[in-house]
Amino acid sequence: MTVLLGDPVLEELRQILGTDHVLTGKADRLNRARVPAPFPVHRWAERMPDLVVLPASTEEVAEVLRLANSLRIPVVPRDGGTGLTDGAVPLRGGIVVDVKRINQIKEIDLDNRTCTAGTGINALKLNEVLARHGLIYPDDPASYPCSLVGGRIGTSGWSLIGSRYGHTRDLVLSFDHVLPTGRVIHVGDGIGRKITKSSSGYQLKHLFMGHQGTLGIATEATLKLFPKPEAEFSPFWAFEDYDTAYRAVGALARAGVATFAGAVLFDEWKVDYLRRDDEAYIPQPSSVKALVCAALYGYEDEVRAGGRRLLRIARSLGARYLGDEISEGDWAARHDRYATPLHGRTRSGQVVPMSWHCEDASINYTNLPAVRLAWHEIADRLRRESDVFDDWGMFAYTNGATGADYLTEIDIGIWEQRLDDAAWAAWVRAKRDLAAVALAHGGSISACHGSCREGEVDLVPAELGGGYDVMLDIKRAIDPNNIMNPGKYLLDQAYAEKS
Amino acid sequence: MKYRYQEEMSPPPVQRVTDVAITRFEHVFEVEPGLMTEHVTQQTFPNWDTLRLVRSRADHLAWMHRHFADKVISGEELLDDLDE
Repeated sequence: MTVLLGDPVLEELRQILGTDHVLTGKADRLNRARVPAPFPVHRWAERMPDLVVLPASTEEVAEVLRLANSLRIPVVPRDGGTGLTDGAVPLRGGIVVDVKRINQIKEIDLDNRTCTAGTGINALKLNEVLARHGLIYPDDPASYPCSLVGGRIGTSGWSLIGSRYGHTRDLVLSFDHVLPTGRVIHVGDGIGRKITKSSSGYQLKHLFMGHQGTLGIATEATLKLFPKPEAEFSPFWAFEDYDTAYRAVGALARAGVATFAGAVLFDEWKVDYLRRDDEAYIPQPSSVKALVCAALYGYEDEVRAGGRRLLRIARSLGARYLGDEISEGDWAARHDRYATPLHGRTRSGQVVPMSWHCEDASINYTNLPAVRLAWHEIADRLRRESDVFDDWGMFAYTNGATGADYLTEIDIGIWEQRLDDAAWAAWVRAKRDLAAVALAHGGSISACHGSCREGEVDLVPAELGGGYDVMLDIKRAIDPNNIMNPGKYLLDQAYAEKS
Repeated sequence: MKYRYQEEMSPPPVQRVTDVAITRFEHVFEVEPGLMTEHVTQQTFPNWDTLRLVRSRADHLAWMHRHFADKVISGEELLDDLDE
């Protein structure tokens, strides 16, 4: 699709949304062509949308989708644009629906402890309002200051403090959803807006979360609220080897402390990376080889009691507490990883501008050590091939309160300005290999980001098995003309017979 | 309040911390300048601006704590409890 001034589509969209809310400028489109996921900068033009629309309501989104569906125009929803799997990146041009104007708080229900808001709202801004009522919406990604509720729904996001409060799938009770045909439905547990548990009918809420924009657009959501925590405790500990740190993080996660909101394991490569540039770790003695942190939230008496228990466990396993300053500073920074200016190193040690690329998987506790070694081999291969890549080490974050599995991530710096076809092909191959390791160890390709990018997506049918065939059937039934985010998740296959 | 250009453009002497990091102001670390000569070169900052950046980061982190909880519990205090 190529939209030119005077095009009837453009005029019709202006009728629906007003002239100011239909953008065709190059800068408007360039800025909505990418996300922080690895991006082939040298092929930026291939990801450009033809135009951008800024609807202000569910009805306007529905009208845009009705028009696009009737004319078979691709549509890509975009919220904060902070996703790490290209969900908001157009692959076939078309219309980007930017939902940032749908950001009003419609209701705060203090008795039922819920809030209803447009999905264009950001959790940080929402929580500034909720704090006046002593409440919090505890969905806490690394992109907390800049991601939006709608993107969290579209990606079924993961929260840093999800072991205490749940992740996006648990915190979003229900939402209005515009189907690709323009029909508006409400999905939740049952039909209720504020119901936390229903056994009525199919559980559609989960179907319409994490689809990466391939099944429509969420426009208004009702969210679960909690009392704003009275106290926070976020101890960081140093270890002299990875194995001891690994045992410690497992013991902390399995301790059953009610206020436990999460624990994180940093491996040797991560510590080496932090020693280059992070003020907390540059001065640490060379004996520090791995780190663990934990976070607790709740009432002060509960947090103190739980904190003492975790400190006892950590001490019994040889941990050295890093002190209040490092613990508090580093934990606060985890809510806001997107603000960090980044640079990497060439193999000769020279500083180069690099962007942060975090590749994730869901891995059971017992498989973390093996996955770590296999993933670093892949990163080492990239590093040997080119100065475009730098291994920034691994984290493992608890997915839940029982310590069964972890969001396992390897951070790789990429010198995007130097990407060319050969380097991009090496990256895609590495991405596929990282996903294969996760599956070979009984894990899932992604705990948080999704898995629809080049490389990893090739293995999604293998991961889901017969479930992938059902996914194709669902896509074809809900989006008969394949207008929603076409090209993602290999879903074009759903239309192969039809075409 | 005074501002003397020469003073502001003369940072304290360098102290080496590691092979890849130096420090000029207490608790403020910088990349070893020799590593920023080919692809990314160092900018010249007046002293006040260097310290402003560091303090702003600290302000931001303190704000983030207040945003998520009313109070931060001290681990050092809890460890003292365990020792008693």
